[in-house]
Amino acid sequence: MRWVTWENVGVDRMGCAWLILRSIDPAAEFVFVPAGQSPLPEGCEPFDIPGVRLTHQRGHCTFHTLLREYKLDDPLLRRIANIIDEADVVQDVLVEPIAAGLDALCQGIRRISADDYTALERGRLLYDALYAQLAAENQS
Amino acid sequence: MTTWLLFTYKVPNEPSARRVYVWRKLKGLGAILLHDTAWVLPATPQTREKLQWLATEVCDMVGGEATLWEATTLFTGRDTDLEQLFTGQVDALYRELLTELGRDNADLAALAKRYQQAKRQDYFQSTLGEQVRQVLIERRGGDDQ
Repeated sequence: MRWVTWENVGVDRMGCAWLILRSIDPAAEFVFVPAGQSPLPEGCEPFDIPGVRLTHQRGHCTFHTLLREYKLDDPLLRRIANIIDEADVVQDVLVEPIAAGLDALCQGIRRISADDYTALERGRLLYDALYAQLAAENQS
Repeated sequence: MTTWLLFTYKVPNEPSARRVYVWRKLKGLGAILLHDTAWVLPATPQTREKLQWLATEVCDMVGGEATLWEATTLFTGRDTDLEQLFTGQVDALYRELLTELGRDNADLAALAKRYQQAKRQDYFQSTLGEQVRQVLIERRGGDDQ
C-alpha cells in the first residue's frame, strides 16, 4: 500500500513509518506532500495529517492511533508510543527521559538527510535500537 | 525578520478542566498572550508542529475552535520588543534559579529539572541560561574541566 504524510518528517512520523513497515505493511511505500496540501494524492492512506483517520487523537501522537487502529498489543510498542508522546506533544509532566534525546536525534537525522525517504530509512535504525534496548531492560 | 505564530482559540467555559488544559499547554510552550488577544510564539518547525496539534485538539473539543496563523510584523522595532518579552519571561525563571543555586542547601536535582523546563522556552538563547548551566555544573562538583 502507499502511505502519504507531510514532508519534513520528525519523531512521530519516523516512528509511524517504522511501525508500519514492521507490523502493518512490510511492503509499504511512502509519499510526501508539502504541509497543508489539499487534496491528498488518491489511493494513499494518509497518516499524521490533521483531520485524517490516522492522526493525533485526544492529545496523543499518531503512533498511539496506529497501535489502536491496527490492534497492536505489545507493551514495548505502547512504551514507545508514550516516549513519542512526550517528544511530540506539549507535556509538562515528563516521565520518559529518553524522549527529548529521541526528538533531537530524529530532527538531526532529517537535517543530515537529503530527503524524507533517506530520513525515514535512517530513522528505522534508531527505532530498532530503541525497541531492542527496551526489550533488554524488560528482561533484566 | 522573525516569523511568528499566532494562536487564537475558543473553548466553552464549562467544563473548566478543558480551559485549564489548553492554557497549561500554551504556558508550557512559553507562549505569550499578547494584549489578551492572541498567543504568540516564534515560528520554528517544533512550535509549528506543536501548535498545529494543539489546534487540532481544541477543534476536536465540543464547541472548540482554534486558528493558527503565521505572521511577520509590519511595524518597525516590534520584533525586538517581542523578542525581549520572550527573553524577559525566561530570564525571570533563570534569575530565580540563580538565587536558589546560591543557597548552601540547594536541591540541585530539582533545580536542574527546572533549568531544563526553562531551557525549552528559551527561544532566543538568553545568556543567563548559559550562566545557570555553568553554575549547575560547578555546584554538582567533580572534575568537569
